[in-house]
Order: sequence, then C-alpha cells, then structure tokens
Amino acid sequence: MESDGGTMDATAAAAELAALDADRAALADRVVQPWWYDALLGLLVAGFVSSYSTRNVWVIAGALVLLLLGLRGLMAVYRRITGMWVNGLRPGPTYRAATVWFVVYAVVVAAAAAFEFLLDVRGAMVVGGVVLGVAIAVISQWWSRIYVAELRGEL
Amino acid sequence: MTAVQPRFDGVVHMPPRLQVCGLLAAVDDMDFALVRERVGVSDSVLSKHVKQLEEAGYVTVRKSTRASRVRTNLALTATGRKAFDAHVAELRRITGT
Repeated sequence: MESDGGTMDATAAAAELAALDADRAALADRVVQPWWYDALLGLLVAGFVSSYSTRNVWVIAGALVLLLLGLRGLMAVYRRITGMWVNGLRPGPTYRAATVWFVVYAVVVAAAAAFEFLLDVRGAMVVGGVVLGVAIAVISQWWSRIYVAELRGEL
Repeated sequence: MTAVQPRFDGVVHMPPRLQVCGLLAAVDDMDFALVRERVGVSDSVLSKHVKQLEEAGYVTVRKSTRASRVRTNLALTATGRKAFDAHVAELRRITGT
C-alpha cells in the first residue's frame, strides 16, 4: 500500500490511524510493572530518607549509593520484563502523577526535617521515609494506570 | 501548547515504518525484538526499515550487552517524533477527525 499525501483517501488514512491505535492498545497490556517493583521502589526511598535520622554522613552517603544502584537495578528489571523504558517525567497525562509525587516529597521531607532537626524529635525522618515509601509505591501504581488509559485512548 | 502542523511524511508513511514510529512514540525506547514481534516482520526487513529511519534522523539505535547478550534498543529522536506527530495530524486532517 503505497500512496502519498495527495492521493491518499480518507479510508486508507482511517485504516492507518486505527492500526496505530490498536498497536498502542496492545502495548498497554504489557507496560504495567509487577507489585513488587513498586514495593522495592518504596523500600529504597524509605531507606534513603530514613537514613537522615542516623545523622551520620557515611550512613546517608551509603543509603544514597544504595538508592541509586537500586533505581538502576529496577530500571534494568523493568526493561527485561517489558522490553521497553518509559520516563516517569514524560510529558502528557502521566505528568500529574509525577507532580503530585514532587509536592508530597517536598512537604513530607520539609515537615520531617523540621521535627528531626529543629525540634529534635529523633526518628521523625524515619516516619517521613515510611510515608514517602508508601506514597511512591501508590503514586507509581497510579502513574501506570494513567499511562495504560492513555495508551488505550481512554483519556 | 502549539498545535501540530499536519504534514505528510514519505519516510514515516511507508509500511511498516509508520507502525515502528507509532510504537516508539509511546515509549522512551524499545527493544528491537519487541518491535519486531509487534510489527510481525523478519529481523532483516525490520533492520532495513530502521536503517532508513536512522538515515532520516528519526530513530536512534543503541546496542548494549546485558548478561553476555547484545541487546538493540530503538528510540525516536525529537525530529522523528515531530515528523510522526505531523504525519498523524495529516492522517486526521484527511479523515476529518
């Protein structure tokens, strides 16, 4: 089927658009990460934020290295499972989930740090870490649901 | 947000390149094997079309070794994404949707 813009008729164009939509919808069936992916992501974030409660720069640096290696590992696992990679900060409908994450992160870290370091409440960063660990796991699932809906043309 | 200007693109239009661009437009990058599976063509046919997309500056090909296996990843470039979006806009213009 070879045609150019001048000779292409509406039927052929509609068929091509339908084929593109079908491909995107088929992709939606395989983009969702397993539950344990989000659980591990939550643990990594919780561990890193909680490490601030130790007030030990070496522990915090170690937790940061662990976080970065863990994120790299999760990325490799996602690629292996799905055969693709999708940036969490991609423009489009999913960006609202990313925005919610940044707002939640900023608010929770600010509050936990204020309690931990200004009011000297030991363990506040651990509480903040747990809250953020749960938040990233939930938001990651939400992000995927938005992405799937977008691929299926439901948005 | 600027509306996409409809423009027929001869490189994108030719099957199965339109399908390849459509798949890559939905992701950051995709494994060559998955693209081949979705498009339903042989390695050599897909390679030929990917080469043409690459020569047009629409697709980048990245090879990496994972677990002693060479994996090939395909990604749409910014130019390729613009060309694909414009081509889809042209298809919509033709269909009146």
